[in-house]
Amino acid sequence: MSLLGVQDVVTAYGKIEALKGVSLEVAPGSITCLLGPNGAGKTTLMMTIAGILKPKRGRIVFDGADIAGRAPHAIVGRGVALVPENRLVFPGMSVLENLLAGAYQRGDKKTVAEDLERMFGRFPRLKERAAQLAGTLSGGEQQMLAVARALMSRPKLLLMDEPSLGLAPLVVEEIFRIVADLHKDGATIFLVEQNAHMALKVAHHFYLIEQGRISFSGTPGALAEDEVIRRAYLGSSKA
Amino acid sequence: MIDLAQNTLDGLFLGSSYALLALGFTLIFGVLRRVNLSYGPAIMLGCYAATWAHLSFGAGLLALAAIAVLCTTLAGAYVERLCFAPHRQSSAIAAMVASFALWMQLEELATLALPRHIYDFPPLYAGAPLDFWGLSLRVESLVMLGAAIAVCALLWWILYRARFGIAVRAVIDQPNAAQLAGISVPRTFMLTFAMASAIGGLAGFLIAASHEQVTPMLGMWSTLKGLLAMMLGGLGSLPGAVAGGLALGLLEAHSQWFLGPQARDLIAYALLFLLLAARVPWMTTRSAS
Repeated sequence: MSLLGVQDVVTAYGKIEALKGVSLEVAPGSITCLLGPNGAGKTTLMMTIAGILKPKRGRIVFDGADIAGRAPHAIVGRGVALVPENRLVFPGMSVLENLLAGAYQRGDKKTVAEDLERMFGRFPRLKERAAQLAGTLSGGEQQMLAVARALMSRPKLLLMDEPSLGLAPLVVEEIFRIVADLHKDGATIFLVEQNAHMALKVAHHFYLIEQGRISFSGTPGALAEDEVIRRAYLGSSKA
Repeated sequence: MIDLAQNTLDGLFLGSSYALLALGFTLIFGVLRRVNLSYGPAIMLGCYAATWAHLSFGAGLLALAAIAVLCTTLAGAYVERLCFAPHRQSSAIAAMVASFALWMQLEELATLALPRHIYDFPPLYAGAPLDFWGLSLRVESLVMLGAAIAVCALLWWILYRARFGIAVRAVIDQPNAAQLAGISVPRTFMLTFAMASAIGGLAGFLIAASHEQVTPMLGMWSTLKGLLAMMLGGLGSLPGAVAGGLALGLLEAHSQWFLGPQARDLIAYALLFLLLAARVPWMTTRSAS
């Protein structure tokens, strides 16, 4: 039984279909990675699952219920949180307020306070900067804040849209260490990445999306074996 | 000298009524990035409802205040549903034009119910003005100033201390991310709109009670003064709205004294024109809250 099942989803911007019938599955407790070139529909798929974009057709089954076309806040309430592309922290709010915004739907102050402490334990940099405006953080810190903000909703599924985008290599490694840590703690993660080398180290299953269609589905081993993919995403040399 | 002091005092009190109007206006603009032209007419409808209750049942001042606030809030919610909810992602112009249509509708509704050109509104305070070393001070003005300060404090508390404030500021900062954090943007819009309208209703009640009358001009007057004060203070900034309101009041009081009543509005518009033409920084940045 998969935690997330995307079935024949079509999402269009006006008349242009960015997703032309995408189907894929995310197994509970796994790290699933979606690879693909710019403009292939990766972000569109993430936004569609999160409810920001409404699909024209298809089903998105999460935890046994069809969530396609529901309001974003209702989807968060069901346990799906997206760390958006370019992080989109709230720049005019403090780090602490960003985290509280992530827990907006949760009424119980006590467990929210416990989770805040857990986040500060996981991301000590955020604790140092709790009172600082999020807009003044570095790119890596903003990415950590975006991840922590998403985790504050206690998601069953964490969607991450290119968390390594525009970050220095050392920071990228840190982000992937966090991804691996979250997985170790039982999280299910569905990740969009362009950095296939890093993704190969953590992900259990790969999908490749090209021009709005899934063109490959397989294990890391199969991905590394595929001549075409290797040339396009891993460089020509064997990984 | 005493005239100058008296004018400044009068200007500040007048300005605090403008500041109240501008606060509601700014709240809507800051969150929705939309101009709500029906803001004033909703206030007028609220004040007309209060006037009607006064004429029909002789309701007391507190009841009138409650009726004005409640009816303005309802009228505001109606405007939000009709003009702003359907145009959330699409054109800002469409929402503004729609709000102009509802302006006509609300004004017609009020004037159909109470068709005379002028109605008495019970005064806030019937006694004589207080006298301080030759300066005369109306009690209504003090109440207005107090209300403006209280509303500022309450708004600050809601925005920076209450849970709902996190939603409002998140929607201002980054609407898509706010949705991803589980904040319902439509709900935040509607509650903000209702809150802004309630502030407008309170402002309208205080203005009607200190003028001791309501006229069909109240709607247009409220929209114009609120818009002017909001623009003077920089679009979308709440402290700016207060500053803009007070500045407008001072400007009007002084230009009326020195240049005569005809110059009063002219000077304010001329200043706005000059500031817009000169592109002063605080009016072109789109800062919020």
